[in-house]
Amino acid sequence: MIEFRNIRLEIHRQTLLDGANLHIANGDKLVVRGASGCGKSSLLKSVIGALPIAEGSIGIEGTELSAATVQEIRSRIAFIGQEPVLGTEIVRDALLLPFSFKAHRGTAPTEEHIVERVERLHLSADILDKTCSRISGGEKQRIAIIRALLLNKSIFLADEVTSALDPQSRAAVMEELFRPEITLLSVSHDPEWIKGCNRIVEFNTAQLREVAK
Amino acid sequence: MTADLSIGAMISMYALMLIPLAILFYLQLGIIRETLIAMVRMTVQLVLVGLYLKYIFQLNSPAVSLLWVAVMLVVANLSILNKAGLKRGLFFWRSLAGVAGSTLFVSGWFILIAIRPDPLYDARYLIPITGMILGNCLRSNVLSLERFYSGIRKNENEFMTYLMLGANLREAVRPYLRDAVKAAINPSVATMGTMGIVSLPGMMTGQILGGALPMTAIKYQIGIMICIFVAMVIAAFLNILLSLPVAFDDHQRLKQNIFCTKP
Repeated sequence: MIEFRNIRLEIHRQTLLDGANLHIANGDKLVVRGASGCGKSSLLKSVIGALPIAEGSIGIEGTELSAATVQEIRSRIAFIGQEPVLGTEIVRDALLLPFSFKAHRGTAPTEEHIVERVERLHLSADILDKTCSRISGGEKQRIAIIRALLLNKSIFLADEVTSALDPQSRAAVMEELFRPEITLLSVSHDPEWIKGCNRIVEFNTAQLREVAK
Repeated sequence: MTADLSIGAMISMYALMLIPLAILFYLQLGIIRETLIAMVRMTVQLVLVGLYLKYIFQLNSPAVSLLWVAVMLVVANLSILNKAGLKRGLFFWRSLAGVAGSTLFVSGWFILIAIRPDPLYDARYLIPITGMILGNCLRSNVLSLERFYSGIRKNENEFMTYLMLGANLREAVRPYLRDAVKAAINPSVATMGTMGIVSLPGMMTGQILGGALPMTAIKYQIGIMICIFVAMVIAAFLNILLSLPVAFDDHQRLKQNIFCTKP
């Protein structure tokens, strides 16, 4: 569950949201729409404390986002950006990177588990030994999604994650992320993605307005 | 005793500068003014230091010597923060603690444990040795602080990704810390590796010119090189670690107001 309460979001002194409220229940698949630069990505970043909110509060599964809770909240949420950063040289290392941190130490997946996840998203196991800088944008997006899935996170923030994917890969990604146990807050212009979501919210005059499906 | 240089000899040394100045003029590099200012500053500063040191060595008082060391530390610290592009008001005390801690620890080790002069606070040892170590720490700290913070600033998405993947602040900054310390010590490792073949070190040369036995001069040179390296690594590492609480907010975001310039 994600709850925005009376939030005011500002970037470079421009108000993007003012007194906005939004409740996202567990299992919801919500997509945020709006013109370019209206603050959709900023909204996603605010949930994980990457961007400060000027006023209001954000609650994640009953925990208020604060300095004391931000690390715990980040470890519960997967954030996948439009141009994901893998953070290592080799793809396999990128998938195992989070397990080198104290928060996930001792929970690293097995090679079989990794290969199974990779193949489910229409990637070949060969990709694991490739250099991250040599793989395509769509492959990077899927590797970032696989990494989040390997962490067994239940809340996903996805910013245009299908923008570089072909229809088959997109369908595979949607199959993974639209599972009932996953709560999804996303930004997308992709009609198939929007169709798959059960809720649509639009940025409108510094407010978040739900659009009937 | 070393042969003194007469005024005429010094004039001949300055005359040598005309060659690079002519080349700089020919290349239209636009740094002739800066070079001349640097030359004048070097001359004035060294003449003043020569005068101060003459009296400090004569006095040989621990309080005066330590005061001189404190002045060197403060000036070096201000220079580090200026050159690294970080706000002095925010980092001054933390950076001073890093530089002073590493320099004093290592020079203390060299003087009190290895050399053991009589008296232990002999200004002829304390000031030049601390000065040499500090001078090298200054260069390495500028490199490490600049590389560390510019690395995170330029790769903010990557840094935030580490945090999103569950890293705590120490874990998220580790790749940048590694790069920064490497950048700081690389030149020194290269210098050590070629010492005696490519470069004849200054301290050793100075001691030989001053009449010391070559083997004694070499032992001092080895000692000072180890001290410089140890102090550089400790200072680069410590300075960054001490700066973290000031540079990041309570959500582990890099504060933008720590820099003197905008991105």
